[in-house]
Amino acid sequence: MDFGFTAEEEAFYREVQDFLKNEVTEELIKETEPGPGPGPHSRAFDRKMGARGWYCITLPKEYGGLGASYVKRFIMDDELTYHRASAVMKVAARIVAPTLLHHGTEEQKQYYLPRIARGEIEFALGYTEPQAGSDLGALRIRATEDGGDYIINGQKVFNTGTHHADYIWLLARTDPSAPRHRGISLFIVDAKTPGINLRPLWVIDGERTNEVFYDDVRVPGKNMVGEKNRGFYVVVSALAFERAYASGGVRRIFDELVEYARNNTRNGVLIADDPVVRQELGQMAVEVRLAQLIGYRIAWLCDQGITPEWQAPVSKLFVTELMQRIARVGFHILGPYALLEEDSKWAQLRGKISQLYRHGIRRTISGGTSEIQRNTIAARGLGLPRK
Amino acid sequence: MDLALNEQQEMLKKSARDFLKKECPASLVRQMQEDEKGYSLELWHKMADLGWMGLVIPQEYGGVGADLIDLVILLEEMGQVLAPVPFLQTVVSGGMTILAGGSEEQKKYFLPKIASGELIMSLALTEPGISYGLVNIATRATKDEAGGEWTIDGTKLFVPYAHVADYFLCVARTGDSGEAQQDLSLFLVDGKNPGISCSLLQTIASDKQFEVTFDSVRVQPGNMLGGLNGGWGIISQSLERSVISQCAMMVGSAQRVLEMTTDYAKERIQFDRPIGSFQVIQHKLADMLVEVNGAQYLTYEAAWRLSQGLTTTEEVSAAKAWANQTFQHACAEAQQIHGGYGIDMEYDLPLYTRQAEVAAQSFGDAYFHREVIARQLCARSGDSLSWR
Repeated sequence: MDFGFTAEEEAFYREVQDFLKNEVTEELIKETEPGPGPGPHSRAFDRKMGARGWYCITLPKEYGGLGASYVKRFIMDDELTYHRASAVMKVAARIVAPTLLHHGTEEQKQYYLPRIARGEIEFALGYTEPQAGSDLGALRIRATEDGGDYIINGQKVFNTGTHHADYIWLLARTDPSAPRHRGISLFIVDAKTPGINLRPLWVIDGERTNEVFYDDVRVPGKNMVGEKNRGFYVVVSALAFERAYASGGVRRIFDELVEYARNNTRNGVLIADDPVVRQELGQMAVEVRLAQLIGYRIAWLCDQGITPEWQAPVSKLFVTELMQRIARVGFHILGPYALLEEDSKWAQLRGKISQLYRHGIRRTISGGTSEIQRNTIAARGLGLPRK
Repeated sequence: MDLALNEQQEMLKKSARDFLKKECPASLVRQMQEDEKGYSLELWHKMADLGWMGLVIPQEYGGVGADLIDLVILLEEMGQVLAPVPFLQTVVSGGMTILAGGSEEQKKYFLPKIASGELIMSLALTEPGISYGLVNIATRATKDEAGGEWTIDGTKLFVPYAHVADYFLCVARTGDSGEAQQDLSLFLVDGKNPGISCSLLQTIASDKQFEVTFDSVRVQPGNMLGGLNGGWGIISQSLERSVISQCAMMVGSAQRVLEMTTDYAKERIQFDRPIGSFQVIQHKLADMLVEVNGAQYLTYEAAWRLSQGLTTTEEVSAAKAWANQTFQHACAEAQQIHGGYGIDMEYDLPLYTRQAEVAAQSFGDAYFHREVIARQLCARSGDSLSWR
């Protein structure tokens, strides 16, 4: 057992840190915060990552990646999020690439993977519908075969990133007569295809997401990923579980809270001398450390060829709920000053605590609610029955 | 990074599990609660035959020479079955402390006897008015100027297996600077010394903890461990090893609680279906799984750091704070899920629920350890804030 980095991992860690020290700017950070979405600085940053092969380092070399280990990827993700260079998960690199690698045709792989590896293209997920949230199998949007193409009609909601993505990773119903999970297919849809209309939805943390309306949107049949009517299973297959949630974001805000408590007084007393605050910081330190260990454990399992079927949901659950717990401690440490928006004269820590609180609420919902994660952990981790 | 157990560790884990399942059933745990000695001599000797007491003792002193991670794996298995043996006290508090801070003569005398299972040790640390820690130790050791002998006077509390201890490792005050770092010395005290008296403390878990009175207990100068007023450094490091050992046992116990409760939830039928199919039960069990695994990761990492000689105060305290919460929470939820059967004293679960409180208090509760972490956080300098 060895919890330390190998010499190679250590060198990579240093390399990533040096890169981030030089490349992360205030403008970039601003663009990664919840809001309208990435802008020119993010795009430029992604290309720089891509040029080093870092945008999707686990991809095999033949498709433009470095064939690197998942532990290395977690090292990078953890540092990227710590430096606030990347707040959101990259759909193309984290979901599309591994899925295409296993379920895509060779033509699809050749066409998409190298561009993903270079950081040139981004995808948006097209899963959720008004009546199909946690119950994804209830989705209704239709894909009707027409010659060799499919015609999409219907509506999606809470599709984040669709307004700046190049492609949509779309689940649509191809067989309404089949049992509901067995009539769904997965498509890659060019986001510029005529007939796609967006309406912005602004959510609690200031992030833009979208309602997406499909009106006779024509998609070539070669854009189907995996077998027809097997889309649901492709999406929830092992590949969706490769994700370890980076803990750099919570680590960063925690460090800032400790610094704040050490350097500020409240009611005439140094905040870090308050015994209740000390208990809270002690507890958060444990949980921040654990969030990172959970991530490394998942990355290491992936490197062993083991699918972290229930460990990945643990990571999602733990990190996103930890965001809320740290925000709670932050509210205690900052008191009423935590209520203030960034631009306020009296704002502390640039308004990040109230932002974290709102963001934490979104993150325990998006990407599968905490309750869905617990269902998965119970079923796959403990073998508890459905009925 | 390599988070796997190696082949020997896998073998150790499996053989320990098989052995303890056979040799240490819950009936033995119950029997030992009633038993005056509180441990099974037969089990103790069999464990010694397997080389467990000598696992972390170097070969030159009759042991196997394995490291702390191996010990943690073994302790996890002992925690699974709540093995009623003075193992942690003898091997970790006693043996490993002598190995780290003892003279060559002390090592040669004690370590082979510990490895062979013929010597039982216990740590005499806590005192009236103290919950845990090295501050305000009042037990005093005074030197007889003529013969050079030491005389120890004081009262120690919560000393496990004191009534069967062949030797105590006693923490006593020898200096008056007012700083624990400069005032403490350690003594290896013969349990048969006539000035020692033990009285059993009736605890929630019916385990064997004692009040030990040292009344003019004479100790030879050769039985001081480390130098005069040099006890603090040795015992601080020793306590970190003990904390992690305690964590390992708690991880094992909590794993067992989770396992028995999951099994129960799959079998127990109410409303015409297994209660484990209800999400309200599933979510409790899912949270337990998250916490129990977390406790194991934190414990393994701290054990690894200790075995590498890395600074590890924060990691050790993180592991204990989390293990305490985990074991207690697991038991509380397990009781709820088991319903009426779980509160039946003939059922195994109450054994764990009661032990969880003893384990949580042993070597510092969660509040103590969170404060240790806070102290470390506040002492850090600017750019070395992050743990890694």
